[in-house]
Amino acid sequence: MSVQVKSHKVKVMEELLAKKLTRQVVASLVGCVHCGMCHESCHYVLTNPDDPTYTPSYKADQLRKIFKANHDWTGRVFPWWVKASTPMTDDDLEALKDIAFGKCTNCRRCTFNCPMGVDTATLNRITRGLLSAVGVMPEGVRVVSKDQWEIGNQMGVLKEDYLDTLEWMSEELEDELGHDRAAIPVDKKGAKVVYAINPREVKYDPRTIKNAALIFYAAGEDWTMTTEGWDQTNFGLFSGDDQLGGICGKRVYEKVAEIGAERLVISECGHGFRSTRCEAPNWAGVDVGFIMESSVITMLRYVKEGRIKVDKTRNSRRVTFHDSCNNARSCGFYEEPRELLRLVATDFQEMYPNRAENYCCTGGGGAMSMSEYTPRRLKSAKLKADQIAATGAEVVVTSCHNCVDGLNDLIKHYGLKCEVKQLVDLVAEALVLEEPVVEEKPAPIEVVEPAARPAEKAAALAGRRILVVDDEEDVRTFLTAVLEDAGATILPAKDGDEALAVAMREKPDIITLDLSMPGKDGVEAFVEFRKSPETENIPICIVTGHPEFRKVIYDRPVPPPEGYMDKPVQEEKLVDNLRRILELKDRKG
Amino acid sequence: MATFDVGDGRTLEIDEDGFIQDPTQWDEKVAEALAKTEGVDEMTEEHWKLVRYLNDYYHKYGVAPMIRKLCKETGFKLNKVYQLFPSGPAKGACKVAGLPKPTGCV
Repeated sequence: MSVQVKSHKVKVMEELLAKKLTRQVVASLVGCVHCGMCHESCHYVLTNPDDPTYTPSYKADQLRKIFKANHDWTGRVFPWWVKASTPMTDDDLEALKDIAFGKCTNCRRCTFNCPMGVDTATLNRITRGLLSAVGVMPEGVRVVSKDQWEIGNQMGVLKEDYLDTLEWMSEELEDELGHDRAAIPVDKKGAKVVYAINPREVKYDPRTIKNAALIFYAAGEDWTMTTEGWDQTNFGLFSGDDQLGGICGKRVYEKVAEIGAERLVISECGHGFRSTRCEAPNWAGVDVGFIMESSVITMLRYVKEGRIKVDKTRNSRRVTFHDSCNNARSCGFYEEPRELLRLVATDFQEMYPNRAENYCCTGGGGAMSMSEYTPRRLKSAKLKADQIAATGAEVVVTSCHNCVDGLNDLIKHYGLKCEVKQLVDLVAEALVLEEPVVEEKPAPIEVVEPAARPAEKAAALAGRRILVVDDEEDVRTFLTAVLEDAGATILPAKDGDEALAVAMREKPDIITLDLSMPGKDGVEAFVEFRKSPETENIPICIVTGHPEFRKVIYDRPVPPPEGYMDKPVQEEKLVDNLRRILELKDRKG
Repeated sequence: MATFDVGDGRTLEIDEDGFIQDPTQWDEKVAEALAKTEGVDEMTEEHWKLVRYLNDYYHKYGVAPMIRKLCKETGFKLNKVYQLFPSGPAKGACKVAGLPKPTGCV
């Protein structure tokens, strides 16, 4: 019998793995107890229940085996017991590729559902990185990575073509507006904002560039795009190649620094935002001296600060929102797009589950560039298709280009009747242009203020009628005293049933609601308030000693509460929050 | 590798996203059959203009053209392209024109 020898590629991978073992990675490698919680969270497992090779723990075990064989003493002493082994041949590596690239979109939903805090997606990315380092990767990922390395953007767009397209969009805007003041500035030194995009926008669908330019113009923003370093996407995140990841980020950062901008605005792209904003500074080992934000935050700021005016009735079709995994799970960024969506569309319906628990669009992790796995992707997309169909929405809004394409594919495949849009499209549609807008001073409406001064505090809630719901008498007395001091009239209630009765009878301006109460608890009462036509529009601020109930509340199939405060509450903060919620409601009507 | 039945007895190799693998096998019959998979039941003169431009460009340069070039050379407005091919220029028009699947986040 011949002795099997490790291939050269395998040896290189083993050496590389040693360099990637940070404390967090090792914790994820040793922390798994194979309890099975992750199985139920994975969209691949849920749509392939009989195939164990899709389970997140199985996928992570592929790296775990190599780790145990090389770095863990248990693997050296009892390899048969802890299942320590390494791939040997190049064929083994092909099999590993099929799992790491073709059976996981690195969406991190399993990570969120792991009681041990194992970050399976990070392990999968490391496996991808080891494979990429020895050239074992899907052809699509190879081509795109090459373009990003060599041409500077993932679609190989040449400089002349890029500039020609920006000029074209400027001309289109001129046609629509009748003047050239909305033209896209390029390489404008000293501009305050640099806008970076996904090459997909310039190569195939520049309507989003035009819409963004219109919004910047309407807000009177001092902004620019750049001839280099404009691609905010990053295939390093998908291929696991930290070096490429660092280079992509650095190109953008250097250009922003050269312009001297104080802010980089990243167009709606989930992985691009995560890479540029959160990961690439570490990959590149650089400090970034300016603010980096998603264009969603920028647009929301413009609306809230009164820099742009919007008319939401222009978007009257039913919309739902799909959270990108990179935005929601990796960057914790999911309330802002909803807030903006509610400001620019009239009929918003959540899909369930949502926010950090949302299911992958199935196109994540670079899956859109790997055609060989498309049938698996579309099969697993059944879950997403059902989720969307249940909302009855005609428009699925998402803040990610990858999701746009993933969703478009599954909408076509499952014959759904809806289209996909981004927030930039809806904001541009709702935009009310007032001339002249240039150089208009922004009029900020509300910034979080330090503790209200006593003189202002007295008037903060003057004339407001507040239903205070809490089972503990001490708490009711405390809240009543604080709110009465601020000028409010208090209607107390000690449980859910009483609260509902008082609310029906008295129609308060706002409700503060405790969650844990005997009898009808706050969660039930909350849902009933939202469902009853007589109380659905009364704003609710949850005041609870159970911060962990937040998920329970936000997962209900009703609009989320206007406020959520943890006990013990500070007096000023309570008054300030209620005042702001009420003012926001007054403005909306 | 999946296959695609043109409807005249020919069977072509396609990738998993439905793009034909060998661009030299492309002709009008193939385009018409592919168009049906893209929700385009009838290829009008406007469809042909767009598809022929894409096919010529690909054979000359080996890549799909920028949407800018496509609109400039054919005279179509951007929105018109999306009306003609609901899946858009990358996935819709390029597929019917016999190009391989565009690379990247599409």
